[in-house]
Amino acid sequence: MIKKKVIVINSSGIHARPASMLVKTAAKFTSEFHIHSHGYRINAKSILGVLTLAAECGAELELEFSGEDEEQACEAISHLFEQGFGMMDTDEGGSS
Amino acid sequence: MPFGTNPIVPKTKRISVEFLVTQLRDKIRMQVQACASVSACMQRYLTEADLHRPGLALTGYTHLFAWKRVQVLGNTECEYLENLPPVAQREAFGNLTQFEIPVMFVTHGNELGPHLLEMAEAAGIPVFTTHTETIKFMYLLRDFLEDQFALQTIVHGAMVDVYGIGILITGKAGIGKSEVALDLVERGHRLVADDVVTLTRKNNVLMAAATDINKHFMEVRGLGIIDIMSMFGIRAVRYQKRLEVLLELYLWDEITEIDRTGLERKREAILDVEVPVIQLPITPGKNITVIAEVVAMNYLLNNYGYDAARTFQERIKTRIAQKTKTGNNGPKRFVDYFEGDVE
Repeated sequence: MIKKKVIVINSSGIHARPASMLVKTAAKFTSEFHIHSHGYRINAKSILGVLTLAAECGAELELEFSGEDEEQACEAISHLFEQGFGMMDTDEGGSS
Repeated sequence: MPFGTNPIVPKTKRISVEFLVTQLRDKIRMQVQACASVSACMQRYLTEADLHRPGLALTGYTHLFAWKRVQVLGNTECEYLENLPPVAQREAFGNLTQFEIPVMFVTHGNELGPHLLEMAEAAGIPVFTTHTETIKFMYLLRDFLEDQFALQTIVHGAMVDVYGIGILITGKAGIGKSEVALDLVERGHRLVADDVVTLTRKNNVLMAAATDINKHFMEVRGLGIIDIMSMFGIRAVRYQKRLEVLLELYLWDEITEIDRTGLERKREAILDVEVPVIQLPITPGKNITVIAEVVAMNYLLNNYGYDAARTFQERIKTRIAQKTKTGNNGPKRFVDYFEGDVE
């Protein structure tokens, strides 16, 4: 099992589109993927789970991966967070 | 086990006395009158669900005094104070006011003298009186506080009320929990929550509810997010339901051993509450929805004292006992003589 702390950097937080990217990426791996926030642990392979977090810009989340391809999964997901889900410039404030 | 590692979090760490009193008045409809330090209510916080009767502390024994709890002064405490001379009353009450007590309730129509209320005011301790009997008051308050400080956890699954039985469908992501829940809703059962289910332990019972964000939304792969309440109406949803059965879906493999009789019931402890678990292998052509309904009906039958597996076992036992006596062998047809196609 790997744990990693990440920070949400795109200004509108994790709304529908980032959540969908997150879940889609996670589904490519067989590892289980959970996010810890406010003491709760949420299954991050479900889009409703990720959306329930309503993580805002600046929120610190702890990612937890466990499974055979946990390292690759961790790398791919962390990359998404580092890139601000590819919407650092075109962010429309979560309207889409 | 599906939820072995899920962290447990209290619903709230602290509540303000102001919130407590408002809730007592609005939700529990209890009459409470403020007597001292009303303005301090906002700054005083409760961090424990337990109540305390400060009888011994009044007499001066304050070692181990649980001053952080709500202090309830009933007939005993008030009579003790009344029977003391005024100077001794101040001294006894001073044993309490030296601590930062969050709030005091004087129950059963008792009252504290003005000189004692002044002391509470000076110490900034809110004091309330009520006409409710001490035991009844303590029961209601304790129930409310237990709910506020209840332990909670969030689990991944779909919670549905099937014939009044709370079934939590669990299993790996993508196995089809939401689809089963949707099918159940279509057949007239009620959805509590999908994907993110909060479980709260209260009075040794697990209550399930959605979160304020995901309530009555569902994600179906290929469709996206749908709103069950606007689609199926109010009769298709529920806010809360007791968790009674766990239905764990998994992909069928030949290695996992399954109980074929239903005589052995597996149980799992969630937040220290034991819940029966049914592990259901998924195979092609299996209608999980109907099985979920059967699970609910079987649970109801068990509740009413009928256990099919056990009844069947009893029947076998009687037959074996009969055979050893009479030497009768072979399976017997249930009908002795076919007269024709009649019942």
